[in-house]
Amino acid sequence: MSQDAYLRIEGLTKAYGATTAVQDVNIEVSRGEMIVLLGPSGCGKTTTLRLVAGFVEATRGRILVEGEDYAALPPYRREMGMVFQSYALFPHLTVAQNITFGLRMRKLPKAEIARRLDEVLEMVKLTPMADRYPRQLSGGQQQRVALSRALAIRPKVLLLDEPLSNLDANLRQSVAREIRQLQKAAGLTALMVTHDQDEAMTMADRLVLMSEGKVQQIGSQEELYEQPLNPFVARFIGHSNLVAGELVDADTFRLPGGAVLKLAGRYTQRGPHTLALRPERVRLHGPADDAPPRATVQVEDATYVGGHVDYLLGFAGGGSLALHEPTGASGSARRATGETVTITWDGLSERLFGSDDAAVAAQAA
Amino acid sequence: MAKGSGSAAIQANGAQLSARLIVGALMVVAIALMTVPLLMTAYMSVFADGVVTFPPSGYTLSWYGKLAEFPKFGQALGTSLKVAAAATLLSLLIGVPASIALVRLSFPGRGLLNVLLLSPLTVPGVVIGLGLYVLLVEVEIRSELPLTGSDGVLILAHLLITTPWVVRLCVANLIQLDRSIEEAAANLGAPPGRVLWSVTLPMMRQGIVAAALFAFIVSFENIEMTLFLISPGTITFPISVLQYLEYRFDPLVASVVVVQTAVIALLLLAIDRYVKLSKVV
Repeated sequence: MSQDAYLRIEGLTKAYGATTAVQDVNIEVSRGEMIVLLGPSGCGKTTTLRLVAGFVEATRGRILVEGEDYAALPPYRREMGMVFQSYALFPHLTVAQNITFGLRMRKLPKAEIARRLDEVLEMVKLTPMADRYPRQLSGGQQQRVALSRALAIRPKVLLLDEPLSNLDANLRQSVAREIRQLQKAAGLTALMVTHDQDEAMTMADRLVLMSEGKVQQIGSQEELYEQPLNPFVARFIGHSNLVAGELVDADTFRLPGGAVLKLAGRYTQRGPHTLALRPERVRLHGPADDAPPRATVQVEDATYVGGHVDYLLGFAGGGSLALHEPTGASGSARRATGETVTITWDGLSERLFGSDDAAVAAQAA
Repeated sequence: MAKGSGSAAIQANGAQLSARLIVGALMVVAIALMTVPLLMTAYMSVFADGVVTFPPSGYTLSWYGKLAEFPKFGQALGTSLKVAAAATLLSLLIGVPASIALVRLSFPGRGLLNVLLLSPLTVPGVVIGLGLYVLLVEVEIRSELPLTGSDGVLILAHLLITTPWVVRLCVANLIQLDRSIEEAAANLGAPPGRVLWSVTLPMMRQGIVAAALFAFIVSFENIEMTLFLISPGTITFPISVLQYLEYRFDPLVASVVVVQTAVIALLLLAIDRYVKLSKVV
């Protein structure tokens, strides 16, 4: 818990009657950092953003910017620039009038308004469009107007609600890069909401993964991918095989059907656990492999998908596992359906979760 | 097999064709129903005979020259325009804020208010007119104020039938406006009053114009309720036509109606220049 966080969200909770949309959310954001709130629909990420913007009143909790609590202020006093999913441009105002709306509300001197307008128009390359109406612009241009309208007020925090979801797929990447560049150049602290994992991975300094109103994990892309704190994170970020079974001794994991896996780590816990394995970290065991074989499986299906072969492997007695083998490099022939093979993986690639869904650490081998 | 599917395709084509024919025929009938009475009126207004007979003995435009002879033509048209304009304005002042409150706020009794604002649409005008008349007479007897037949009472009564239209059209308009546009204004620093004035109302422009138009026409053409509330001195335009027809049936009344229709049509065209009516109605 650093004391010098620029934006701190503390114990933020929103309840609608008996249902809790957002429950005890705690996030610390450094100055200039881009935090992406990620999660399936209905996970509370949008409500969290709207709580920060002030459109939704918090049931409990604080929203501190540089130590000052904003939770009780109405939205028009919060100085948070928001980019809406629908862009929410004023249809009856021109591009220039849209961008200067916030500046006029602040009663800035005319010269200052004109200067800032030129500045942001230049920044998003919309100077020739200044006198057009939103309906005369393309989706990408409208998005840039929405962004520059939020930037023009020099917000304390930039809020982005699914900013790319209304754009064509081929525009998304370039707009994502543009938003990121502008945010970095302005040194803006930003909170973004998305349901799209790739988008989150590309844009974020750090990610906040939410589910059912609660924060599941906060961390860098690597942390969420390599060290998921619970099975939900392991499943949501990338792909994971989640295999239920039992730890019978320090390195033996037994499936309900009787198949036995030799784990890479040593564990003191016993009893029911869930094993998480990334399909691309599991490999077919060859004679030259350093790691010992960890399980014997049968090929149930093998699909060539270009970059890798997508194997579906079955354990004797039930249970299955996906394995992605990169094509080309190994030169290994594709295994036939029905063939019995051995598989292996390295120590850091496996992750065990207890029956309470908390990650279980391996002892140093 | 191929033959079977071929004949099936022909049958399907045939069904499509006859469906199109039926729709086309229905459209012709509908358009005829709407335009024939208008065209007939315009046709009758140029008959030369003093009593409308068919076929006419000749044609003349002289009836249009005698418009001023139509009893109370100026007074009736003036009263109608005045009452319609005032009722429209007042119902906008009531209906626009009411519809914003109905759509954007939640408060106890919201459903009830909604029903109350729309309910006059469900009561026949004759019933409202009679009810108001009885009430007015009672009040008049007790207060000794000359209420029946005054323009003020007529305007208030017309509010009853114009306000539901304003509320209905403005509510429909507001519901389809993107709420986040108002949130964006607040986010950029606009307090609620400013959001309303600078964003919500300008975005409602089309709905408000449509509402004003409906309110004006509903008031202007009302007969059944108005009948109970006028005095012999001041009558509205539709009632003057009705009264004229009780005694006479000459082309003058047709020419009067043609002039009135033309005035309203011109009004619509003028509004259409500013707001595309096909978009709002």
